[in-house]
Amino acid sequence: MKTTTTLRATAAAALALAAGGALAGAPDWSKVTGTKITVFYPGASPIEWITKGSEHGGARALKKGETCASCHHDETADMGKKMASGQKLEPAPIKGKAPAIPVVVQAAHDGANLYLRFAWKQPAGGADKMDKDNQVKLAVMLEDNKIPGANLAGCWQTCHADARTMPDGKDDKKTKYVVDGNLGSGKYYDLIQWTSKGAKYDGYVADKRVMDGGKALLEAKGEKKGDEWTVVFTRKFTGGDGDIALAPGKTYNLGFAIHDDHSAGRFHQVSLGYTLGLDTKADISAAKQ
Amino acid sequence: MNDSAKPAGWWARMRRPSTRLSVLFLVGLGVIAGIVLWGGFNTAVEATNKEAFCIGCHEMRDNVYKEYSENTIHYTNRTGVRATCPDCHVPKEWVPKMMRKVQASRELYGKLVGTVDTREKFEAKRLQLAEREWARMKANDSLECRNCHTLASMDPEKQKPRAKKSHELAKKNNDTCIDCHKGIAHHKPKGMKEDDE
Repeated sequence: MKTTTTLRATAAAALALAAGGALAGAPDWSKVTGTKITVFYPGASPIEWITKGSEHGGARALKKGETCASCHHDETADMGKKMASGQKLEPAPIKGKAPAIPVVVQAAHDGANLYLRFAWKQPAGGADKMDKDNQVKLAVMLEDNKIPGANLAGCWQTCHADARTMPDGKDDKKTKYVVDGNLGSGKYYDLIQWTSKGAKYDGYVADKRVMDGGKALLEAKGEKKGDEWTVVFTRKFTGGDGDIALAPGKTYNLGFAIHDDHSAGRFHQVSLGYTLGLDTKADISAAKQ
Repeated sequence: MNDSAKPAGWWARMRRPSTRLSVLFLVGLGVIAGIVLWGGFNTAVEATNKEAFCIGCHEMRDNVYKEYSENTIHYTNRTGVRATCPDCHVPKEWVPKMMRKVQASRELYGKLVGTVDTREKFEAKRLQLAEREWARMKANDSLECRNCHTLASMDPEKQKPRAKKSHELAKKNNDTCIDCHKGIAHHKPKGMKEDDE
């Protein structure tokens, strides 16, 4: 009996290791400080709009090296209201669209894996279902300080006026991309996504968006308790093509987005650009557990 | 003394010392005349410095004034302080004000020949007019704005983060108000340069 138990334990441990040690190193989240980041509905505000001074007064500050968050971090909820209501930058407002969602973000690592946890309350919805399969999706993009402006504007470096679902987007197949982006030069965003249907994706955004091929994402688990969603990503420090290599002491650019209420394409709530530091000070710090 | 040797005519009479009026009377008369003339001139100038004068022409009333009075912070706001046309477009100091008045006198010609007497003509010329005004305000370091607003008297802690950050940058880079605050009282013209804010 004892042998069987030991074997079972060994098998369980082996399975856990095979899964990249996700279970073995999972952090005690009650001991990890959370950072509140409010994602907001951005309407149609591609990087071309962001950097056009005659449209967006902040373009001047951006050119001087200021981050979007340095001006807007505390007012994303108000910004979201303007776009969700159609007052600004949204030619087709969606009835019932949540203007903003406050999210608590936690991060930790165990020397081999990064753990990211996101928790938020499900806002009211009720719009037509663009994505019938998924009530909610959560995507995270990480960047290794190679793309000019990624440290300032976060995911906006991948968001363009000619992308699908944008008012000026003519090509239904054109998704996110980075100008001059390619894997070889490191000019890409690592992209991971969890969907409420239970899928996980590990891809990247370079000259185009690719939703698979990554080898770093071990697990993406989400659950809803009451009206609160919790999503945890477990990601190895290193993977394959399209997976940026993480290391303690370094800082990376991070942005994330929630596709709430069965939405798709640009109709998501997004974060501004923030920094993720491993054992170092950043907007979101992942300390070793 | 030979009277015939004295110069004759109007100019001569003006130059000839009075034999009947006292110096005190003449000085007093001069002061009163000065007050009347100066006061009259100033009153006339100030009459052209009122919003009612500015929107006396339909070109201003139906275009820029209409936009300004629809929903702008300088027309209606929480505190009830209103900035009218001359507050933003005419310097308060006398010399700059007179220079501006002389410059503006060419608008009379524009009025006579109907340069912007229709909405279409106004829209066609709007960018040029706006750029000229922005250049003027940039050249005088946004003097009219600074009649009411100064960076030194702002309390950044009471400003929204983006305003606080922008004003810190403006101070650091010696920017002037109009560098960032274009289109705050009137619609922005089509075709403006991407860097114009």
